Amino acid sequence: MTPLHFEQLYGAEWDELASLLSRLHRGKRKDQEQVSGERLAVLYRRACEQLALARARSYPAYIVDKLEQVTSEAHQAIYQRRELGFGRLKQLAAVDFPQAVRAHAVYVWVALAVFLVPTLVLGTVVYFKPEIVLSVIDADTVADFESMYSQDADAIGRLRTADTDWQMFGFYIRNNIGVAFQCFASGLFAGVGSLFFLGYNGALAGAVAGYLTEHGLAATFYSFVVTHSAFELTAIVLSGAAGLRIGHSLLAPGRRTRAQALVVAARESVVIIYGVALMLLIAAAIEAFWSSSQWIVPPVKYGVAAVCWTGVLSYLTLQGRNAR
Amino acid sequence: MTTQVLDTTVEAETPEGILLELRPAGFVPRVYAFLIDFIIRIGIMWVVAIITVPMGGFGIALGLILYFGLEWFYPVFFELSRSGATPGKKSMGLKVVMDNGLPITPAASLTRNLLRTADFLPILYGFGLLSMLLRKDFKRLGDLAAATLVVYRSRPITRSTLDQVQPLAPVRPLSLRDQAAVIALAARAPRLNGERLDELAALAATVSGDDGRQGPEVTRRVLAVAQWLLGRR
Repeated sequence: MTPLHFEQLYGAEWDELASLLSRLHRGKRKDQEQVSGERLAVLYRRACEQLALARARSYPAYIVDKLEQVTSEAHQAIYQRRELGFGRLKQLAAVDFPQAVRAHAVYVWVALAVFLVPTLVLGTVVYFKPEIVLSVIDADTVADFESMYSQDADAIGRLRTADTDWQMFGFYIRNNIGVAFQCFASGLFAGVGSLFFLGYNGALAGAVAGYLTEHGLAATFYSFVVTHSAFELTAIVLSGAAGLRIGHSLLAPGRRTRAQALVVAARESVVIIYGVALMLLIAAAIEAFWSSSQWIVPPVKYGVAAVCWTGVLSYLTLQGRNAR
Repeated sequence: MTTQVLDTTVEAETPEGILLELRPAGFVPRVYAFLIDFIIRIGIMWVVAIITVPMGGFGIALGLILYFGLEWFYPVFFELSRSGATPGKKSMGLKVVMDNGLPITPAASLTRNLLRTADFLPILYGFGLLSMLLRKDFKRLGDLAAATLVVYRSRPITRSTLDQVQPLAPVRPLSLRDQAAVIALAARAPRLNGERLDELAALAATVSGDDGRQGPEVTRRVLAVAQWLLGRR
């Protein structure tokens, strides 16, 4: 068969496939629905066959190029995966996220230790020697913290520049979720970045807590942080754990190549990040509207906090155990 | 083959058993695409700020949340759309696919865009650029972890109109490779200057029985053989 004969014989099919695809890509919704999936699949398979023939017979470049173009476009359209939706989200929250956390238990414990040890050490040191705080945080920020958690602040934990809870909500979302993402992404450098951000944030939290306790502001400070920290601190530790998983896959790839190990680690640990983002959204809402309010008395806050902590920890340890 | 050393194409096999050729995009078009997206994002934030800032606290919250969304999810949103590319990439003729040629998955899109943070370090996408420049398939770190590839949307179709000349049967049987070479020469003919075309045609002159000769007449006869091989009689 000569190239021209081949083109004459099948050219109409390629054009039909191309026009179906362009309707699928550029058409309106109604137009798309009229595209017959069956016809598309048939034409696609035939085009694949013809491409193989055209290559094997060394047909001229313009025929092979044309076939490559339509087959690769059809391939993209046919194998499109749609996994966004309410069902997917429910599956994620009910099963995938807590299961992924438990699958990474070792990393979670390591991340927790790396976060908690600096918190406790700096907390104690700053409590007994308050001036040490200046080696972690600069003086202006320390003064800010002091005024944020003083008894007569109109809302606890609010920046001087912010005048409403809503503004703080926006700030927490942008800032905290950003920190968590950073904690995860920097794990790519053999885990060093995640370790650094975990330790640094731990040290910061410890220093602030130690300093405010020493200054007698413990009541406002702890009643402020205790509720949302159930979500926020857990989420930061989890994102660090996901980052450590990525770093570990590069250091000890096991029986895979480093590139393959990285791909697998990223695919499995990114599930944790979905959950982390959701947890930080909840944390931001609690922090901005509940934790900061002066009219709720501390005992109520501690009670709600106990519920939150129990809820989060049992969700992570128990939820979705039996689901496959 | 020597072309394989130079080519940056990545081959992906489909379940139908054919090889799709993906052509990864290098660092220059991707930088341009990034800059275009960057300008678009600044533009959006500018408009948002004009609307939200006068609204006070709630407006600022809205602005901050939108800023957060633009910062992290702008590429994710567009990569999961039908075009598989942000407006910047689209305008440069690029799109993001999985490195096995499949459309990008939500998990992969999120991974590659979260790991942008790592690519950005130490400054101005230093590690990302380094990774792109060192690799044949121009993956940045996020692409490595997400197993994605930024490719050219489509290849230019080299449909060449071969001049209608009287077809001429070759004087000897030609192997498939020889046939392909002669046809490819004819396809390139309009883009070559006369002398160079004559030189190249002289190399193929055995197909029309003009061994050892060179000139416009030989060229015409070789191109006529190409017409015959294409199927004109």
